[in-house]
Amino acid sequence: MKTQYTLIVLLTALITLSSCSKKSEPIVITPDHFHNAIDKVTEVIIHDIFSPPVASRIYAYPNIAAYEILAVNNPSFTSLSGQLTNFTAIPAPAKDASINYELAALVAHMDMSKRLIFSEQDIEVYRDSLYSGWQELNEEEFVQSRDYGLQVSNHIAAWMDGDNYKQTRTMPKFSVRSDEPSRWQPTPPAYMDGIEPHWNKIRPFVINAADQFKPVPPPAFSLEKDSDFYKELKEVYDISQQITKDGDNSEEIAIAQFWDCNPYVSVTRGHLMFATKKITPGGHWVGITKIASKKAGLDVVHTLHAYTKTTIAMYDAFISCWDEKYRSNLIRPETLINDHIDDSWKPILQTPPFPEYVSGHSVVSGAAAESLTSIFGNNFSFNDDTEIAYGLPIRNFKSFRAAAQEAAVSRMYGGIHYRAAVDVGLNQGKDLGKFVVSELDMKVETAVSVN
Amino acid sequence: MRRGALVLLWMALIIVSCTRETVDESPPLFKTPSGHSTEVTFANTLAESDSLNILDYLYFYNGGGVAVGDINNDGLQDIYLSGNQVQNKLYLNEGNLKFTDITTNSKTGGNNSWSTGAIMFDANADGYLDIYVRAVVGINDFSGHDELFINNGDGTFTEQAEAYGLDFKDYGTTAAVLDYDLDGDLDIYLLNHAIHTESSFGKASLRNKRTEKTGDKLLRNDGNHFTDVSEQMGIYGGINGYGLGISVADFNQDGWPDIYVGNDFHEDDYYYINEGGVRFRESLKEHFPHTSRFSMGNDNSDLNGDGFPDIISLDMLPDDEVALKASEGDDNIQTQKLRTERFGYHYQFTRNMLFVNQPGYQFKEQALSSGIAATDWSWSALFADFDHDGVQDLFIANGIPKRPNNLDFINFISSDKIQNRINESRLLDNEALDLMPSGATPNRLFKGGGDLNFKDKSQTWLASQPSVSGASALADLDNDGDLDIVVNNINKEATLYINQTDTTATSVQLKFEYTAKNPFGIGTKVFAYAGGKTQYKELYTARGFQASSQPLVHFGFPKNTTIDSLKVIWPDNTYQTERNITTNSLVKLSPRASTPFDYHSLLPKNEKLFSKTPGNLGIDYTHKEDDYIDFNRQKLIPYQLSDRGPATAVGDINNDGVDDIYFGSSKFTSSQIYLGGDSAFAKAYIEPLKKQSKTEDKTAIIQDGKIIVGTAGADFSATNTALGDYILKLDDSLSKQPLNLLGNTSVIAPNDYDNDGDMDLFIGHQVITGDFGTAPESVLLKNNNGKYTVDKNNNLGNIGMVTDAVWTDLNDDNQKDLIVIGEWMEPQFYINNDGVLSKEKLTTEMLTGLWQTIAPLDIDDDGDLDYLLGNWGTNSKFTATEGEPLKMYHADFDNNGQTETLVATARNGDYYPIQNLPELATQLVSLKKKYSTNNDFAGKTISEIIAAKSLSKAQELNVTTLKSGYLKNEKGSFTFVPFPSSLQVAPLLDFVVFDFTNDGKKEALAGGNYFGTKPYHGRLDSFSGALIKSEQEIIDGYTLGLDFAQKSVRKLSIITHNNINYLLVTFNNEPAQVYTIETTQ
Repeated sequence: MKTQYTLIVLLTALITLSSCSKKSEPIVITPDHFHNAIDKVTEVIIHDIFSPPVASRIYAYPNIAAYEILAVNNPSFTSLSGQLTNFTAIPAPAKDASINYELAALVAHMDMSKRLIFSEQDIEVYRDSLYSGWQELNEEEFVQSRDYGLQVSNHIAAWMDGDNYKQTRTMPKFSVRSDEPSRWQPTPPAYMDGIEPHWNKIRPFVINAADQFKPVPPPAFSLEKDSDFYKELKEVYDISQQITKDGDNSEEIAIAQFWDCNPYVSVTRGHLMFATKKITPGGHWVGITKIASKKAGLDVVHTLHAYTKTTIAMYDAFISCWDEKYRSNLIRPETLINDHIDDSWKPILQTPPFPEYVSGHSVVSGAAAESLTSIFGNNFSFNDDTEIAYGLPIRNFKSFRAAAQEAAVSRMYGGIHYRAAVDVGLNQGKDLGKFVVSELDMKVETAVSVN
Repeated sequence: MRRGALVLLWMALIIVSCTRETVDESPPLFKTPSGHSTEVTFANTLAESDSLNILDYLYFYNGGGVAVGDINNDGLQDIYLSGNQVQNKLYLNEGNLKFTDITTNSKTGGNNSWSTGAIMFDANADGYLDIYVRAVVGINDFSGHDELFINNGDGTFTEQAEAYGLDFKDYGTTAAVLDYDLDGDLDIYLLNHAIHTESSFGKASLRNKRTEKTGDKLLRNDGNHFTDVSEQMGIYGGINGYGLGISVADFNQDGWPDIYVGNDFHEDDYYYINEGGVRFRESLKEHFPHTSRFSMGNDNSDLNGDGFPDIISLDMLPDDEVALKASEGDDNIQTQKLRTERFGYHYQFTRNMLFVNQPGYQFKEQALSSGIAATDWSWSALFADFDHDGVQDLFIANGIPKRPNNLDFINFISSDKIQNRINESRLLDNEALDLMPSGATPNRLFKGGGDLNFKDKSQTWLASQPSVSGASALADLDNDGDLDIVVNNINKEATLYINQTDTTATSVQLKFEYTAKNPFGIGTKVFAYAGGKTQYKELYTARGFQASSQPLVHFGFPKNTTIDSLKVIWPDNTYQTERNITTNSLVKLSPRASTPFDYHSLLPKNEKLFSKTPGNLGIDYTHKEDDYIDFNRQKLIPYQLSDRGPATAVGDINNDGVDDIYFGSSKFTSSQIYLGGDSAFAKAYIEPLKKQSKTEDKTAIIQDGKIIVGTAGADFSATNTALGDYILKLDDSLSKQPLNLLGNTSVIAPNDYDNDGDMDLFIGHQVITGDFGTAPESVLLKNNNGKYTVDKNNNLGNIGMVTDAVWTDLNDDNQKDLIVIGEWMEPQFYINNDGVLSKEKLTTEMLTGLWQTIAPLDIDDDGDLDYLLGNWGTNSKFTATEGEPLKMYHADFDNNGQTETLVATARNGDYYPIQNLPELATQLVSLKKKYSTNNDFAGKTISEIIAAKSLSKAQELNVTTLKSGYLKNEKGSFTFVPFPSSLQVAPLLDFVVFDFTNDGKKEALAGGNYFGTKPYHGRLDSFSGALIKSEQEIIDGYTLGLDFAQKSVRKLSIITHNNINYLLVTFNNEPAQVYTIETTQ
């Protein structure tokens, strides 16, 4: 009897559920929705093998799209229109539309991400599973929010289209010449062409021009033993010899590996070839932004504020850094050490395929740390578990700047940069980061203080 | 009468149709009896494990060995098969294709962890074949040593490697026996392979530093012991020697056996020339323009009957579209540059190479035009006349269990599946291995066509199933006179290919009964003369990759052939002539003469027409090409255009009545003038020649004391004044006057076409910088009192990618007409009617080509002028026929304001792009969105890859023939006649017409070769020049004394000095050469 009753209730419930097509429960978007969407993008970036500069562009635009939508509905935050190069205000939603702005922001974020990567189906599967859930909950709110999100995505995409990315795809490759001893040469094992030789032609967001933070030139190339350049070369070799001797217990090796962030490390065994793939330097700092946002318990709009500001700073940092890389076209330590010091020497990290000066990780870490410090403060400690998925341990940092400092010096330990590239690069990144922080007016300070 | 004709026609039809029937239904040339029937059940079964697989040992898939020989002297060839992880097997031939496994009783199973190549030879000179098996020892816990099974003559063997000094614990591949010092006994070359990680190339000089386990070894037979003489004999033994192939023959026919070693990966192959038995001189770079890159097995045989062995070296280029596009592609051009210029390696390209021996000169490489360049993952090559038509055929065993160079495995799959394992220092497991696609593929058989061309008969002759096949040996297993093949397979029974030619044609097998120390006569050479043809063989048994074949020489002949004679040259270089040879039999020969063979008699008989002029007549001009790479800017174009200079012009510049020379500069170097003087030519040190010039001077003429220079370079933008042609005039100084015409000029052809007494000019343009494929405008410049203006009344328009032009009277009206040629276009004929040029069609066929040069010559000696046309040749990866032309689509496919070219070749009627997905995506990024994996992309046609809408909007250019030839003049209309295949091995870039032979009749000298291609084609470098005397008589340049080896000819000129004519040859990026023409002395 009781079973029968239960059955009837269940059946009724089922019928009600399936016949009731118009539900109107609220759709709640949490910061985790955004963290997950960004993690998804990171996953696809790794799969599709985007280089660090290109990855920085993939991270930035979706964040801007989402942030702009959130700012429409939040008096505490200011639109970036007029603040980023050639960026105009996003379209306003229809007057009578019932829009869930956080939902629209997430839709725009995913849609922009999909445009920027290759493996669209990966994003689509993720998106569609969310879509069907939302549709179920509240079709009207979902449809209107989605349509607005896509409208904004179109606006952002049209702006993005003018950033010269498409044109730089077909610009000339970097020319390898064997007759200039200081000129960058492709490095083992894949001897890849220099990547993104025209990245300085990408339209920046905040900085005025690619060379605004042009660093001092590297020490003059010389193989004279008492020259500054040679001393720095020798230093890379000596450090590597020392820490290799120290072996697996070497803190320096641990640091080098933790910050490797090389998206494509080629491995060859005879005809067998494969690649081990990891997040980019930008991806690492996006991960740190997530850690900090969660630790600070930020809500959706504050989370997006942190992501957006930090990825904008890194985007400009890559432009600034790459501008110098293909100005100085400096040869990597591996090439010179093999030619002049030790023909069987291999750096602890695989040398990435672009000129040496300045260190990309240093510039980008410097810029990202300034952005994060401006949001979370100077003494914000955190446990960095970003690299766990790649078999690396957790490292604790007392501040973002400390982490940036370590990221920079890791490149020397890794045997892929000279000291000047690390020191000068970190300062270049800091200066650029401070500039971005001071130029961008994202948060309405008065509104916050009133609260 | 009429009825008779009808009957004849009817019969002819029947014959035609019958012929076709029999071809279609002909049984395979080979049958493959199963192990069930033959009892040869050996299979080289591999057990992959987590601790032993291709990641631990790079040559895990190289397979075992096979050796064939008559171990009990019963007249039947027995088979020995070695296995990597399984026991080796010896099978005794019982006749009628029945074998008995006598491994256990004969004690030949072996004790090594990992056996590789196996050979048979008589190590102790007792008349019984012994068995030598190589081993890999010292990695992956592999134990043991090379094993030498000495034949006791009673069906048992005793392992005695240590006693003979042959118990090596190396990374052995195989071994070859030869008597390198001609002391009568057999020495051994040990081929070893490196296991060095090739993550960085390392300098080529690594080969100088001997490493014990990886270095090859030369072992001298000192009685009953072998002594390592590698170092003193000049044998490389470096850590980078990935030795996989070995071939022994007297390649230079000086009486001393030479060695060709094929090395895998970046290490060059080695070509060891035996210098009188006291030293081997490795001289690959001097004798080979380029080699295979991942060199595997190789073989040699004289293919063209000139008495000089030719060589094939195998590689791993797939011919199937899917496998091709899913696998790692060719080298990046900049990586190749790095490897050759910085690391010191030679040019290597991923495909099989066919090296045709050119005595006294470098080998000519023509695998592509011969049709045998791509046979997938190929291990073993064996030349033999399988069908007994007197021409060598080619068997290739191939396959790989898993393709480790699959692009998706490299980029996408491997990372997820194995990277954590790598990080944990653990190894690739079977799950990850299974993600690599299988590379099992049917073995291949090519029928030799006689003119160095091969026809793929794999389907009809072999009818093989896909397999992973390696070591192979030749033997007549059933004593029916034809050659059978024994193949060692991975994870499958060994295959016995039994030849069913039997006695339907003619053959002979020769068994040598030579000396006590060399009873089988290893190293014996035989010339067979029959039916007006010569065949030549040398007896070396180590052939077919990790294998040795029966120690007999085999010749096939067409049915009912009588052998006129055999000339046998014994290893001691004495020779004898044998007549009355019984065919279809085994003929035993032993030495009975002591006359030394005269090797000079083999050399080409041509008189040397040219010799290098001492001092080069004072001309020390070296052209230096700038290092601009067109492919760095326009990544998908089919070839470069920036390297077509320098300009060379001969004429009187300083009005002293004698020839002077103008050499044009490449970008940012200076042009040069050499003035003719009494003793020699002297370089003129005049402004502005002392300075660098910005322009790249591609072509020039000297006219009325003025030098008219056409500039190009395909680098300066269309409006850059560096593309402006100009006139130089030498008075007190050199004055420069612009022509006010911008463009990439390819040709300046002068003629007074308006008959007003001064020379007008045709100016041909080849390309618009940065827009390969768009036809630039070519113009006529009218000369009005030294002022040139574009002739608006004779608007030639955008003719095409013009390369050359000639003014010539086509219609006997005493007015010179104009022929213009170029790339991706047909020859264009313009008839001159009193200064008005009108285009006419004077050929009936479609003749779009990559035309490079044109010259008038009455080649058929019928009194009218024919026109020689230089084209691209057939020895590249481009293919073109009228039915299936080479295609190039030209449009802005990605709408970024910059055009792209997509070149596609036909394969079985469908068109495929020449590039793979990563290469196409360097320009067309959106393809990465369309195809998320390379496996998706592989096998897709161009119309699947590019949307029909875009493709139909694109300009479509095509090439219907790549052959050079001539337009045969038949009363003013022209038919194209291709030159013979010897002139198709590379682009022909210039002709000069002159009476070189001083017989009152003009000949044309042709020069060519072109290197402005990507590693996809490799360097088109195998043309030694040729003297074209008539339709029938064409003589290779190297036999005439010309040295165009590994050089790209730009201009052939006749210069006169002190009333004597010389040949001046200008090359790209090389010093110019002056030749004395012997007949004019």
